[in-house]
Amino acid sequence: MTGTLAGTSVEVLRERAVLARRLVVDMAAQPTGCHLGGSLSVLDILVAAFDRASADDGTEVVLSKGHAAAALYAALHVSGRLAENPAPLYGLAGHHYTGHPSPAVPGVRFPTGSLGHGVPYAAGWAFAQRLSGGSGLGIAVTGDGELQEGLVWEACQVAAARRLGNLVVVVDRNGGQNDGLVADISPLPDLGARFAAFGFAVSEVDGHDIGALRAVLGGEVGDRPRAVIAHTVKGKGVPPVEGKPGAHYVTIDAARAAKWKRMIR
Amino acid sequence: MEADDQVTAVLSGRDAYRDELTELARHDPRVLCFEADLGGRKHPFAEAHPDRFFNLGIAEATMIDMASGLASAGYRPFVSTFAPFATLRAAESMKLGMGYMGAGVVVVAPYAGVSGAWFGTTHHCLEDLAVVQSFPGITIAAPYGEAETRAVIRAAAAGSGPFYVRTGRNAAAVSLPWDGDVPPLVNWVQPGSSDVCLVSVGEVGTSLALEASAERPESGHAHLCFLDHASLSEAAEELRSSRYTRFVVVEEHRPTGGVASTLALLMPSASVVGVNAGMAWPSEGGDHGEVLGRLGLDLAHLLAVV
Repeated sequence: MTGTLAGTSVEVLRERAVLARRLVVDMAAQPTGCHLGGSLSVLDILVAAFDRASADDGTEVVLSKGHAAAALYAALHVSGRLAENPAPLYGLAGHHYTGHPSPAVPGVRFPTGSLGHGVPYAAGWAFAQRLSGGSGLGIAVTGDGELQEGLVWEACQVAAARRLGNLVVVVDRNGGQNDGLVADISPLPDLGARFAAFGFAVSEVDGHDIGALRAVLGGEVGDRPRAVIAHTVKGKGVPPVEGKPGAHYVTIDAARAAKWKRMIR
Repeated sequence: MEADDQVTAVLSGRDAYRDELTELARHDPRVLCFEADLGGRKHPFAEAHPDRFFNLGIAEATMIDMASGLASAGYRPFVSTFAPFATLRAAESMKLGMGYMGAGVVVVAPYAGVSGAWFGTTHHCLEDLAVVQSFPGITIAAPYGEAETRAVIRAAAAGSGPFYVRTGRNAAAVSLPWDGDVPPLVNWVQPGSSDVCLVSVGEVGTSLALEASAERPESGHAHLCFLDHASLSEAAEELRSSRYTRFVVVEEHRPTGGVASTLALLMPSASVVGVNAGMAWPSEGGDHGEVLGRLGLDLAHLLAVV
């Protein structure tokens, strides 16, 4: 099967990512704060993934690292899938923009946040596409710390055994997790080889290169599930937090948010 | 034996499930059948519909999560694995996919209670009702006998919401009669003459209640098939409006989180007593009845309570 590219230009996608990053910073300035570092690292992946889904071929994007809900809501909004601006409503009573995604939010199908479930959800979606003769993908976007969860590998085992070529697992390889660095807590050496050993086709990209992400997500569907290891930077795009593991969860005031938003280009 | 005299064997709950689903799938292309390597080598669904039967391997949580994905895409997946693995190992998948998300997955779980007998505690499940009852939105059924199991499977296939269906292992029974297609929330089995009503739940509970009511015909007997909180709330209304004042609930489950505890909360003015598997760990071998006896869930104990 040949690949599928949506019609949006890379320049437009980059503009969306800038807008979405500013929304994520706005959410960090809500009373609750948000998972800022991992939201900024995964944002370009989500913008590219929703662009891939805009081909309307039945592709579903599942943010398995649900703690990056701020990025998900922002990406949905800038991609036109969520009409209202979620930023001023994030974390507030009376609204569905919880700190981990709820299926009550337009554009969100699966509840994630308890790590690991997004991979089998996406695998089930991909399986349904295959059974119904559809050409859509199931795209699961995971964290790298999330790969410490056994369920991820259980699902990879099943997906490989079923030769689910339309499943794509994109790893936001930002190197951080809640309590520090993945490398210090439970490292994941030879990550590509691990997926390959399970039977996945593996590729590695710069997770902030939207053109590269767009190309890999639009790539040809074979008979093996795909793993895309996307190398990213925690806090990407906001210099005061860029590359800082401590920026996992951040709460800021409105003045700081305004300052940080001006830095995003 | 003459051909006319041949008696068709009654199927166990799990065999009735497999047979009924195989028939339903002939007319409903949405129906899919999943196993996690405990469906046996000759599953009737696999033989009749090989393109819709999938043994995903020993991966219970993945199976239920994937089924949630398939259900959200319009399929009606039935997944089966032993009750302890479905409701305890994959509890979070049931909570999030079937409960919170409301995905139309049907979990059919044999080996509930201690029907696994000598297989030991890892293969027992005396906690499933407590766990699944606490997930809003999932219909729970514990059918008694072949006909009731078939009716529950038909109801689950016809619906769109999540179901948890609890069965035993290989025990077979003739179901209690009822009117209509779907088993009622309260099936009044025996009227009795005293103020005591046996309330039977599941395969063992119903079997014991039938034996007890034969010995104590003055007791009433009400059988419950649907055990989720919403169904029990309606059943409690009906029980409360009956003439009985003391209800003896018989169930192969622990007292905590079982049907008796739920009915006690729903009927604070009635006397609700539980006869159940208690709080011990069954650690000895033996057949199903012997393990139940070690746990105090037997006819002698039930009669003593009645």
